Amino acid sequence: MRNLDEGSGSARKILVVAIGNPDRGDDGVGPLVAIRLAGRLPPDVALIVRRGDILSLIEDWNGCDALVCVDAAGPMETPGRIHRIDAVADALPRDAPFASSHEFGLTGAIALAHALRSLPEIVIVYAIEGACFDGGAPMTPEVVAAAAEAANRIVDEVDQLRRHAMETMPNA
Amino acid sequence: MATKTIRVDYLTRVEGEGALDLDISDGRVTSAQLRIFEPPRFFEGFLRGRGYAETPDIVARICGICPIAYQMGAVHAIEDAFGVKVEGQLRALRRLIYCGEWIESHALHVVMLHAPDFLGFPDAIQMARDHGDAVRNGLALKKAGNELMRTIGGREIHPVNIRAGGFHRVPTRAELRPVAESLERARDLAVGLVRWVSTFPFPNFEQDYEFVALRHPDEYPLNEGRLVSSKDIDIDVADYETEFEERHVAHSTALHSLLKRRGAYLVGPLARYALNFDRLSASIQALARESGLGPVCRNPFQSIVVRALEIVFACEEALGIIAAYEPPDLAAVPVEPRAGTGFGCTEAPRGICWHRYDFQADGTIERVRIVPPTSQNQPSIEADLVAVATSVMEQSDDVIRDRCEQSIRNYDPCISCSAHFLKLSVRRL
Repeated sequence: MRNLDEGSGSARKILVVAIGNPDRGDDGVGPLVAIRLAGRLPPDVALIVRRGDILSLIEDWNGCDALVCVDAAGPMETPGRIHRIDAVADALPRDAPFASSHEFGLTGAIALAHALRSLPEIVIVYAIEGACFDGGAPMTPEVVAAAAEAANRIVDEVDQLRRHAMETMPNA
Repeated sequence: MATKTIRVDYLTRVEGEGALDLDISDGRVTSAQLRIFEPPRFFEGFLRGRGYAETPDIVARICGICPIAYQMGAVHAIEDAFGVKVEGQLRALRRLIYCGEWIESHALHVVMLHAPDFLGFPDAIQMARDHGDAVRNGLALKKAGNELMRTIGGREIHPVNIRAGGFHRVPTRAELRPVAESLERARDLAVGLVRWVSTFPFPNFEQDYEFVALRHPDEYPLNEGRLVSSKDIDIDVADYETEFEERHVAHSTALHSLLKRRGAYLVGPLARYALNFDRLSASIQALARESGLGPVCRNPFQSIVVRALEIVFACEEALGIIAAYEPPDLAAVPVEPRAGTGFGCTEAPRGICWHRYDFQADGTIERVRIVPPTSQNQPSIEADLVAVATSVMEQSDDVIRDRCEQSIRNYDPCISCSAHFLKLSVRRL
């Protein structure tokens, strides 16, 4: 994983963050997407995995212009379904109040960064529906399959973000 | 007979899950039960039959916020049983990583979980709109603590570098240099934090606690010391069971700890501070006085100031250790198992965390007992709740509810650790 400040040659600092705990069933889909992304992102795009302390994300994305996050979403109807959410334009669902440090998730971190006016101007969240989050449980096959597709979509997303930045550069 | 019921289903901004039941009869609080319903976690059972070397990595899983407390209690107990002494730079490194845990744990609680209570915000996100700098500084402090834990422990949550006898690997001086740079900034931020929280409106409320903490001949306690109280206790940690006992109560999956002779007692920042004020540096003592505290503070709501002072202490202590650091030749001293019993007791951010292990000759664990700080504070929390609810009895149920929740947060309780936390229901009977 690269430091955000390293190798920056792009007009826009882009950070990809994969969130999740591989020891908690489908919660591991974020880190699995990071594995699928290995070697596929341009050298000026940082990729980091966060397994526990979500609060530290606010410091991680400080100074970056665009953020792409991938995280597991709670069970809904379709395990493995991928939701793309523009977290700046669309409010993320906040199921619970800021209940405890144990429950401080990505939506809380984005809300806190928004309140602190330190949210990157572009924040895209890929949320992958999971089915089972039990400790030590294997990942659901549909969720494993979705990791590859999510990685492909994130590669495309990053490519678009970089191309758009190049096109809008004053000297482009 | 006047009766009334107030109910809060979950206490927020604490670690874990619990509830509170208040019984009010004829204008008097007759019962306050902190109902911990988080399932028991059976760590003591998991450890039976395991080898001693596995212990630090298993007990680290008890808590994501204070894993060092559990790891240190375990390795000290193992070394006590096997006759191993860890001294010099290895001992200093253990103290150093513990400083990291105090900084990240206290910063999280002071700024993100407790401060909103005093400023009238439901949570840190709402508070951040009006107090952005304070929240940013709190996050920077937490980051500094995490960085210290990660540098020595391999990662900040459930560190993997602790072992009986020392560490798997020790850091180089170069690895600690950037940590020292962030700690310099963290120390200044922590001093500012003390000054900020000391301006909060504190209820005029004091309790006659029996404080219990470690006391060391020349250090503010982290890893070592005798177990002392503000009354007559002054014992070796091995004698804990002669003075303290755990009792099961029906309303909690966490055992209640009590003094056999006197009942409830208090562990944590207020106790450490009161019993070890003279072990703080002159500059921190002066900062405490500037912040309105004497050498003893009996107002649990002001624990937020003491925690902030302890962040300053931890930053200074860590900087001193790093400045004097010389990497040791060996990352760990040799450990040879033998049959026996060992005891460990260290100061977790929330108070003393006591461990006892019985080993077979090959180092296999026969029996374990771990007493976390939150279980020790439960009776004192319930006593505080009776007194606090009584003091606001004539006010609305919302006021009672808010003040009771705040009273519980005074303790920074870690229910997950103790269940080994909060719905609140008040019954006016």
